[in-house]
Amino acid sequence: MATPLFLNTLERTGLSTWIRETESVFGYYFVLVFHNIGLALLVGSCAVIAFRLLGFVPQLPLRPLRRLFLFVWIGFWLNVVSGIFLLIAYPTKALTNPIFYIKLLLVAAGMEVLRRTERFLAQASEEEQAAVAARGRSLALWSLGLWLGVLTAGRVLAYTASYILYGKPT
Amino acid sequence: MGFDHLHLILNHVPVIGIIIAFALFLLSFSSGNGDLRRASLIVFAAIALLTIPTFVSGVGAEASIRSEPGVSATLVRRHEGAAMLGLWFVEAAGALALAALWRSRQPGRSQRRMNIAMLLLAVVAVGLMVRTGNTGGAIRHPEPGTLQGADVAEDPLGAVVSVFEPTPGGFTNLMVASNWWWAGMMVMHFVGLSLIIGVIGLLNLRIMGFAKELAFAPVHRLLPLAMIGLAINITTGMLAFIGMPTYYTADLAFWLKIGALMLLGVNTAVFYLTGVFNRMEKLKPGEDADIPAKLVAATSLVLWFAVIVCGRYIQRFEDSLRF
Repeated sequence: MATPLFLNTLERTGLSTWIRETESVFGYYFVLVFHNIGLALLVGSCAVIAFRLLGFVPQLPLRPLRRLFLFVWIGFWLNVVSGIFLLIAYPTKALTNPIFYIKLLLVAAGMEVLRRTERFLAQASEEEQAAVAARGRSLALWSLGLWLGVLTAGRVLAYTASYILYGKPT
Repeated sequence: MGFDHLHLILNHVPVIGIIIAFALFLLSFSSGNGDLRRASLIVFAAIALLTIPTFVSGVGAEASIRSEPGVSATLVRRHEGAAMLGLWFVEAAGALALAALWRSRQPGRSQRRMNIAMLLLAVVAVGLMVRTGNTGGAIRHPEPGTLQGADVAEDPLGAVVSVFEPTPGGFTNLMVASNWWWAGMMVMHFVGLSLIIGVIGLLNLRIMGFAKELAFAPVHRLLPLAMIGLAINITTGMLAFIGMPTYYTADLAFWLKIGALMLLGVNTAVFYLTGVFNRMEKLKPGEDADIPAKLVAATSLVLWFAVIVCGRYIQRFEDSLRF
């Protein structure tokens, strides 16, 4: 299948070229720093909530943990924006790699599980009934599994790309 | 100052430090002194942290003395192999010491098994550190004949230990042999980072005044999760270093990251050993933390931020240092 031409056009724009090729420290690695901070905020907050739901530190009250969703959302939007800049820098590399679409699907599923977790925490009463606790555990396991998948897919992108740049196979 | 000088400054710390920790640990049994035992465990943990810059400064030191006359490559390799084995036992002793400190705060739980494990691990770690120190010293003060190509003389114990010591080049090649192994290590490094930032971030933010409806004590109970993350990241981080030693050692961002981690060690000591933690433990829901606690929490947040930023810039600053 021929690689779509618009990827080449995008790669030749000033912004894309600058992020890739600038000698400045505010180029590619600057964007990566934001992507990494976003990851830490999102997955870190989600891990704390998930392990609490799995029964770790039961004396930690559930409802106040909703406050952590502030960082889930900051992390999410940081990574949407930094992710778009990374995509602008290497559009062919990302969009010709099936793993990239798998990662996006996993992110979407992960965010849906987190949205349900947020609702669950809002309704959670402190005297946990068995059925409620079971639902909490199920949300936690889905959450941990999906975000581990996102991290893995993100890392594996570098090793599974067919192209580095347009017309430049790996 | 070059890496050889940095390595010289640091390299006595793990050897002498772990002997001191071990001596304090043994003394605490003969005197039945719990405070002394806790002190020895703290020294074990501190030495585990300081062993990291000592280990990684060795690669640059090797590069700067390699071409000098009178330096035997065989002796350097032997020292490197000894360090690559000893490192893991010192780190394991530090991890176990932190676990024992955690457990010692829970009344009514037996410390017996943990003490026995600590004792066994410490004996091996001390032995391997002494061996690492001796083989390192032999680089500058070799046995007669070694430089003329004679076989390196080993005492009987050294001959046994050397069987378990990895060949430095072989260990390095093993780490980079497969892209998938490397990718897996990096994924685990991100998992560890998420656990650390999730727990330490929440703990620090609570001290700073976020989510005041939480008491401090239950948030602090999450700490083992962050410690598991730290163990994952020290393991994967050191394995990655062993995989590409010359890549990391000539890198400014890498050394700033190591520096930030050392400062985090100091910051943690200030938090737990100057009474700040004792006051925080009593912090009830809705209560505001005091100023010293907020300063320590803010320092921790800034330093962990620096660790992530520097880690991300390692690739950008490849070959930024001469050695």
